[in-house]
Amino acid sequence: MSLGDADTHPAWCPGCGNYPLLKTFDEALDAAEVDRSKLVLVSGIGQAAKFPHYTRANVFNGLHGRALPAATGIKLTRPELTVAITSGDGDMYGEGGNHFLHAVRRNIGVKAFVHDNQVYGLTKGQASPTSEPGMVTKVQTHGVMSVPFNPLALAIVEDCSFVARSFTGERDHLREMMVAALKHTGGFALLDILQPCPSFNRRNTAKWYKQRVRPIDGAHDPFDRDAALKLAFTWGEEIPIGIYYRSNRPSYESQVCPVARSRKKVSGTFF
Amino acid sequence: MSLSIRIAGEAGQGVQTTGGLLVETFARLGLHVVATQSYMSRIRGGLNWYDVRIGTEPLFGPAGKADLLVALTDAALEVLGGEVVEGGTVLYDGEDAPGVLAIDLAAVANDTGGSKLYANTVAAGAVLGILGYDVSPLEALLAEQFGKKGEDVVSGNQACARKGAELVAGAASALTAPEAGGQAQRVQAGAAAIGQAAAVAGVRFVTAYPMTPGTATFTYLASVADEYGIVVEQAEDEIAAVNMVCGAAYAGAPAMTTTSGGGFALMAEGVSLAGMMELPIFIVIAQRPGPATGLPTRTGQQDLLFALRAGHGEFPRAIFAPGTVRQCYDLTRRALQTAHAFQSPVLLLTDQFLQDTEQTVEPLPTDPDPIDPCIEAHPPAEYARYAVTDSGVSPRAVPGGKALVVCDSDEHTADGHLTEDLDAHLAQQDKRMRKEAGLIAQALPPERHGPDDAETLLLTWGSTYGPAREAVDRLNAAGTSAAMLHFAQVWPLDAEAVRAAIGSPKRIVSVEGNQTGQFATLLRGAGVLTECELLTNYTGLPFTGSEIAERISS
Repeated sequence: MSLGDADTHPAWCPGCGNYPLLKTFDEALDAAEVDRSKLVLVSGIGQAAKFPHYTRANVFNGLHGRALPAATGIKLTRPELTVAITSGDGDMYGEGGNHFLHAVRRNIGVKAFVHDNQVYGLTKGQASPTSEPGMVTKVQTHGVMSVPFNPLALAIVEDCSFVARSFTGERDHLREMMVAALKHTGGFALLDILQPCPSFNRRNTAKWYKQRVRPIDGAHDPFDRDAALKLAFTWGEEIPIGIYYRSNRPSYESQVCPVARSRKKVSGTFF
Repeated sequence: MSLSIRIAGEAGQGVQTTGGLLVETFARLGLHVVATQSYMSRIRGGLNWYDVRIGTEPLFGPAGKADLLVALTDAALEVLGGEVVEGGTVLYDGEDAPGVLAIDLAAVANDTGGSKLYANTVAAGAVLGILGYDVSPLEALLAEQFGKKGEDVVSGNQACARKGAELVAGAASALTAPEAGGQAQRVQAGAAAIGQAAAVAGVRFVTAYPMTPGTATFTYLASVADEYGIVVEQAEDEIAAVNMVCGAAYAGAPAMTTTSGGGFALMAEGVSLAGMMELPIFIVIAQRPGPATGLPTRTGQQDLLFALRAGHGEFPRAIFAPGTVRQCYDLTRRALQTAHAFQSPVLLLTDQFLQDTEQTVEPLPTDPDPIDPCIEAHPPAEYARYAVTDSGVSPRAVPGGKALVVCDSDEHTADGHLTEDLDAHLAQQDKRMRKEAGLIAQALPPERHGPDDAETLLLTWGSTYGPAREAVDRLNAAGTSAAMLHFAQVWPLDAEAVRAAIGSPKRIVSVEGNQTGQFATLLRGAGVLTECELLTNYTGLPFTGSEIAERISS
């Protein structure tokens, strides 16, 4: 079984950052030695949410914004499965924002790969929670007026066990981050992936990102929360990519599931 | 014969403690008991009451008026004093007052047991004394309940129980108590019966956002989770809850959630997801009056048509509506099995009245007896999750084996991948809807109570079973020929069988806990009924048998 050889042709625009993402994800799964029969890819709705259909894996492509609760239900009942989410900034941080708050808080062992292109692609170009102030769209005709959602800072504040950022234009780096997230065993892993949307985001283009992304200095201690927060608030002329933060909290399933599985009365179930 | 005792007072005053002690004691005395609660949405204060009805025959619902009122506050006496039957007795917690039996419960408790906290025990002892029952089963119960707190607490409470009975000995009371001495009974509440059935049936995952009156089932499951091996998760909202259930069901775990109408409204998209993805999900909806937040602690049957229609698009579902505590158990099991056999959302409609109703029942099973999850143990490697079949039910595999399991909320091809091909859409939509024929073939027929040739036929569903059953018995005893048909499954219906069951009585009356006659609407829509009378109650309080009988007669 291999990713990327499903029969369907991706319904993405030419030049979409999802193409290199798909290929890199396939390589990362091999590099991380993920057993694909034990892999469940969960998604909601959006361009990123189509991603599992172009793979060969177990797939749960559910409702808009609801990938996290579905993934939580899967992981809490089948903790031996590798559960990964492919989502976008609208799906994960907008429609699914409340679930994001609580999934990080729980530290459920789910890997969230968030394709963050700072715009709504599927619905044709409205602002997303991470769109920059001033961005004009057909809805935000006077420009975006809200402050962008900062997923990394929020995750760090909630003591998320793995917080990283990468960019589709730096494939080696992206692969490295994906492998690190896949190999992370201590709970929730957030990988925010900066990605151009050539159709609808004319501000944050491939070139714009390319000029700004900088690998995090090797001296950074990812267990230093203050330093990690400082990185999370670095945006603009320079955008750090790499592992921002790690913490050694126990995963949610490692606390919940052993109690449930030490059951006295249960018999006759299949797992 | 039956007798009804009402304990009324403020929240936090021990209404529940006294009522609970009496319910258990009566059951041990071998009496049949049905107990219901009425409470306001607050932790302290207000006016709450606990109705305990006892008899020598099985009882199904509350009486309208109390034979014995235990008024723990002046407000209880003022508001409920008029709701006592003629010749009834009032036990009042306080100084002497005209026409009542007055005991200063806290003072007696303090003098006798050394603590005002034992006032509830004095009250329970006094009730037993007034009715002429033996206090010793209560003393045994107190020893069990307070054993962990030490000998002093046990003996203090026991002394208070005896003192309560002594104080009323010889007091004038015209009450005739049902004869004790039958076999000791077990008492169970509707909310717990649903939880127990789910645990026994092998539910592996339960999640909910707390919402009265559904919460009692959720907390029951949490209380037995370690024993049965159930993962319990409090969701951040009802949207998360239903989607977690969908995820768990996809992964192969029998899974459920509990809620009330408002929470179910948030779950509507998830119900549709389960319809599209063909996931076996089970949702307990404990109704309370709406709209919106409505009356959070009261009862009603206003969410039938909502449950029937919730979720966009068209897909099959089944809806059960238990009428007794025993049915809460049986139908929960049946609902879970139905969900798995048909890979569809299945709903159970109960309400505050039945959730809080305690009834003496035959002991319900406790040993694990898992339902068949209907999972293919060895699916082929080239597996298609949504293979088109005559029954509409496709072989269901779960992830982790050789077969890849692909499920989509978009319209999909047989292998589960999204498609916009309209022929593929029609093939899948028709496949999904074909499952309804199987659901209809297994639909529970309505249960009849009363003579076959009755002139008046009451149509009931869900928790109105008990009051309606009592009404039918009262009507027939008074010479009015009446029967009832109770629907414990309200969807889907076998229209032909229901038409035959209804027959052609002179008068058909749909008895419903809502204002608009939702069940009558459902029956008309299903083509089993043209016209009928409505007998509705949307007060927030349950029907009583005497109320239904009187309204039918007038």
